[in-house]
Amino acid sequence: MMVLPLLGTAALAHAVAEGDKGYIQEISGINILPFIYLGAKHMVTGYDHILFLLGVIFFLYRMQHIAIYVSLFAIGHSTTMLLGVYFNVGINSYIIDAIIGLSVVYKALDNLGAFQRWFGFQPNTKIATLVFGFFHGFGLSTKIIEYDIAPDGLVPNLLAFNVGVEIGQLLALGAILIVMGFWRRSDGFWRHAYTANVVIMTAGFVLIGYQVTGWFVS
Amino acid sequence: MYNSDIPARAELPSSRQLLRSTAIAIAAAAAILVTIVLPAEYGVDPTGIGRILGLTEMGEIKTQLAEEAEQDRIRMQPKNGSSAAPADDQSSGLIGRVFAELVIGSAAAQTAARTDETSFTLAPGEGIEIKLVMKQGAKADFTWSVQGGVVNFDLHGDGGGQSISYEKGRAVPGDEGTFEAAFDGNHGWFWRNRGDADVTVTLRTTGDYAEMKRMM
Repeated sequence: MMVLPLLGTAALAHAVAEGDKGYIQEISGINILPFIYLGAKHMVTGYDHILFLLGVIFFLYRMQHIAIYVSLFAIGHSTTMLLGVYFNVGINSYIIDAIIGLSVVYKALDNLGAFQRWFGFQPNTKIATLVFGFFHGFGLSTKIIEYDIAPDGLVPNLLAFNVGVEIGQLLALGAILIVMGFWRRSDGFWRHAYTANVVIMTAGFVLIGYQVTGWFVS
Repeated sequence: MYNSDIPARAELPSSRQLLRSTAIAIAAAAAILVTIVLPAEYGVDPTGIGRILGLTEMGEIKTQLAEEAEQDRIRMQPKNGSSAAPADDQSSGLIGRVFAELVIGSAAAQTAARTDETSFTLAPGEGIEIKLVMKQGAKADFTWSVQGGVVNFDLHGDGGGQSISYEKGRAVPGDEGTFEAAFDGNHGWFWRNRGDADVTVTLRTTGDYAEMKRMM
């Protein structure tokens, strides 16, 4: 009878992760389609990646230009995502997400022509897209490491996740292009393009502040 | 002002093209939602396609984990809510604790090196938790094996607001070893069968613990 109070304090069951993480921790072996889905979901619901993508294609009108930049971004983030997970390189997620916020600020300033005005030259936009793609990939790899994917089937699952990320990126891109298509046809586009990039830059600064604060309070 | 030139009207998609794209996007979104997102998030699969893709299972596992977490929270509730008379509670709790520690302490001393063997069957999706009541520093040897498949497990402990995970595994047929309780409390295994058929787990423990308990 006297044992009860002690047991009462220890009623909590094992700590279960829920949602996507919980699901991933319950499975092992090769699960191609579920990981494609999770990769696509991560991209479509990842506002930081979407904001950067929006900045990149903001002033791109021709499909072949969009394809080049989106491919550079994909090459960038796929490289570091796969290598980061495979070699288990976990970067502090607050720092990496703050750098991703910085990439949004950079692209918005680039769109505004700030670098031309301030420094008298236009930094190569393709190289910037690739380099920031590398950082976005480390952001992805850091999240995936937190998911704790089973070693059994890791590489196929990881590749499936990567395929999913690209599918998600294309879906998001499609939606952005349709909305931008309507917007660009209106006369308001050129009047509001400046403000829109300032808003994107603001969102980037908010992301930086959010992550840096998180780093200090965590 | 910008890093780009103003495009000619002809370079932009036509209004008709854009409206058609919007219609396609809405139709595609509806199809993706019904065949992929709803199965994968909620286990809701009206077309049966999610089951074929292996995504309905994801939704079912997520729903199950959410329900179990909710049950955990409900189980924690009475403990938090029972502080209506904090002074009384505290004193009786303290006395109870002192008695309990004396009783358990002597019980543990008397029953050092007890041995238990238990066996149970898990249906697909089912989980079970079995714990040993141990003092800090107490050790237990264990061996368990699965007949008919593999299980996921988490060898962990909790007590006095602390919790720890000693070892985790996925899709394993058995395990053996020794662990040492990191603090006073309940230390043991959570097993779950994620396979398609019933499995039977047999656990044998020997060590310095007061009791073997089934938690859930």
